Amino acid sequence: MANTQLKKEISEALQNNVLRGALERFSRLYVIAREKAYEGYDFEDLRNNIQRVKSYAADHIDEMIDLFEKNAKARGAKVFRAANGKEANDYVRRIAKENNVKKVVKSKSMASEEILMNEALREDGLEVQETDLGEFIIAIEGKHPSHMVFPAIHLTKEQVADLFTGYTKKKNDPVISKLVKTARSVMRKKFLEADMGISGANIAVAETGTLFTFTNEGNARLTSTIPRVHVYIVGIEKIVPKFKDATYIMKALPRNGTAQNITTYVSLYTGATEAYLEDGTKGEKEFHIVILDNGRRKILQDEKFRQIFNCIRCGGCINVCPAFQLVGGHVYGGHAYTGGIGTILTAFLTSEETANQVQNLCLQCGSCTEVCAGKLNIPEMILELRNRHGAKTGLPFTQKFALDVVSNRRLFHSLLRIASVAQKPFTKGQPVIRHLPMFLSGLTEGRSLPAIAKTPFRDIFPTIKQDVPNPKGTVAFYAGCLVDFVYPRIGEGVVSALNEVGYKVVFPEKQSCCGAPASYMGDKENAVKSAILNIEALEAEKVDYIVSACPTCTHGLLDYQKLLEDKPEMLKRAKVLAEKLYDFPKLITMLGGLKDKGDGIPLKVTYHDSCHLRRTMGVYKEQRALLAGTSGIELIEMKESDRCCGFAGSYSIKFPEISVPILQRKIQNILETGAEVVALDCPGCLMQITGGLDQINSKIKVKHTAELLLDKRKK
Amino acid sequence: MVERLNDLYEKFKAKFEGVNGECYRVAKIEEIGNLAVKILANKGAKTIALYESPLSQAAKLKEKLCSAGFEVHTDNLFAASSQDDVGITEVNWGIAELGSMVQIAPEVDNRLCSTLVPIHLALLRTKSIVADVDEIMEILDNLPQIPGFVGFITGPSRSSDIERILEIGVHGPEQVILILVDE
Repeated sequence: MANTQLKKEISEALQNNVLRGALERFSRLYVIAREKAYEGYDFEDLRNNIQRVKSYAADHIDEMIDLFEKNAKARGAKVFRAANGKEANDYVRRIAKENNVKKVVKSKSMASEEILMNEALREDGLEVQETDLGEFIIAIEGKHPSHMVFPAIHLTKEQVADLFTGYTKKKNDPVISKLVKTARSVMRKKFLEADMGISGANIAVAETGTLFTFTNEGNARLTSTIPRVHVYIVGIEKIVPKFKDATYIMKALPRNGTAQNITTYVSLYTGATEAYLEDGTKGEKEFHIVILDNGRRKILQDEKFRQIFNCIRCGGCINVCPAFQLVGGHVYGGHAYTGGIGTILTAFLTSEETANQVQNLCLQCGSCTEVCAGKLNIPEMILELRNRHGAKTGLPFTQKFALDVVSNRRLFHSLLRIASVAQKPFTKGQPVIRHLPMFLSGLTEGRSLPAIAKTPFRDIFPTIKQDVPNPKGTVAFYAGCLVDFVYPRIGEGVVSALNEVGYKVVFPEKQSCCGAPASYMGDKENAVKSAILNIEALEAEKVDYIVSACPTCTHGLLDYQKLLEDKPEMLKRAKVLAEKLYDFPKLITMLGGLKDKGDGIPLKVTYHDSCHLRRTMGVYKEQRALLAGTSGIELIEMKESDRCCGFAGSYSIKFPEISVPILQRKIQNILETGAEVVALDCPGCLMQITGGLDQINSKIKVKHTAELLLDKRKK
Repeated sequence: MVERLNDLYEKFKAKFEGVNGECYRVAKIEEIGNLAVKILANKGAKTIALYESPLSQAAKLKEKLCSAGFEVHTDNLFAASSQDDVGITEVNWGIAELGSMVQIAPEVDNRLCSTLVPIHLALLRTKSIVADVDEIMEILDNLPQIPGFVGFITGPSRSSDIERILEIGVHGPEQVILILVDE
């Protein structure tokens, strides 16, 4: 899929109001319902256990498969190990032929979709019927699922009625209860006539040979009860060692997937059971289990990705993904797996090329990591895909050129200084740029960009008088590009607060871009260059602490350890840097916090949590305490305060069409609080949210915590 | 002991009704028949596929349903369950925390009578209600072997596949009724 194709599909998805409405409603309900479903449960404990049992199985995969096979066979199952999709499909075709099968019913199996089993069986003239309501609908529509759990979420009842009318040749009214009845009666006939059932498993237990299937509709029970031949398709990652290990997944899967305490049906199959045979008598059914590899062992051999085996396919990650909530699953291109986790699965199991395109949709906001039942770090894996792709194919010229410039400090900084003059025609005397000409116009659609400051912080710093009589120590300030060149006043706030807690601040002149843009765009070479440059500039060894007022930069600086794994000398210095590095609110709090000396003038403030500060660094209480402790400030929490604002660095430039609607939801949540000021701790979010508010001519101001504290505490 | 039982029952009933189930409780086995007749007559049911079990036999359920005028099938249950209004089976446990019923049903007829019919009427001894999933998994794990089929059933079948609107009664039963007996 070419990038233009991806852009086209994004634009189609965004214009589909049904899809957007359904996804947005669900995203709001899901968070609340999920929380309620977990009442009385310790989610952290639960997912630690899932991680433990699943990674044990992954580490002992051969032993697990042997054990599962032995125990399933002892109970009358026939077990086949398929190395790839073709072997699996050929086996099922053979079983069908040997047993004189004509009609097949299927309940949901992602693994069979991955290997295009329906298509293979139809080649032999078999009639194959998807029986899950959503799967049935999209099969008539001729499309792939738009969601792992709700495959037809992109369609209205009217559209479903039209599809059913076409299929049944009888008029179907757009009434959901009637449409469900139609599906029931159509499918009932198929169930009663089927010779073979094909099922997917959510869990396979090595110790007992038991397979677990979770469903709500009951189609999986009929698929496994009526036909005389029953085939299970099971990916090797579904295995857990012990029967009771399945309990953890039973508890997490429905709660994370659909915010249910449990699905209507949880069915446990152990070996061959009784069925009605061809001649009408009752007897033991033909029961087959296909254990599918199809690229999964390759994942296990890859240190960065083997955690995928801890995934239980609940879809929780997709339910909270801001990008997925806007565009749905079709955009992700793969015919089976969608969303962030889907991107990674697609890379290994179906199409690397597709994955390389759609990995760009990830905002790196980390929301998925908070809900993941297997504790996977999906953003990190997506970044790794991006890096590998970048290393293999190189970046497009303009991107590469930009990153080359950024990693060359002198050139980058002189260009920024030139820009502060050259931007004049666009700023029209305002501190923001509202319109850019031609192909750059996408940048300012729905959002204004900030103007480059007239005097960068590096030139202001020497003029600041630091009045610290008996300094307790020294802090080096890492400003990052945005504070240095766009928002220098944040820097003034940082210095002032640190002085107040008794520390002197130094500003190492040779510091430059942290390298995060290069990292996020998959340009490791330039990221490493930036890392070395800053380690040498900051000289962490000579100060007590290093403070950053940009969590993305903090994260970027912490990641130097990963970038420099193969450079031992630099790695040592990167570690020293990491140990002394803190975000502004965290460091101020650690050093004793600030005494209340606010101006007492009432000010309603709401707080936006930036993704990196909240989720990567876990800092969210400190800044709230600093703000609430300043007299005059009334802190009002907004809805979804830790939901991404859509900036995500270069994302807002690559996908303004996704970034802007995400921003609009944030703006809406801000407006609802009635606050006069939005406080935050990330200059990137500051730029994004200021731009969004400016476009609707809002009077609400956006301020970095350091800047707001400075404003309210001036003598 | 009785207190714990009542407590589990109350929790179970609330959860069971929360997932659109209908829950009844009787003291004696002999009361099951009359109650079943009353419930099913109210629903306008006429034909019943009955999978005989210790409780149904002790309650002389077939006899009572037949004499009340229902057409009751206990043989050839594939054909019966695909046409009849009601399926009756006994289940093995209830889970208070979830309102779930748990059946051990390797027999095909047991499964058909609880899956294929529009109305599933289940019988269960009140003392077989356990507290939570952990307890039931412990019980299953301690059996000599895991039965060929174990089914957790939590309310009637449902789907939200069209416009995310919850709809009851898709491929499985549209109504699930449970009679608990203390004896």
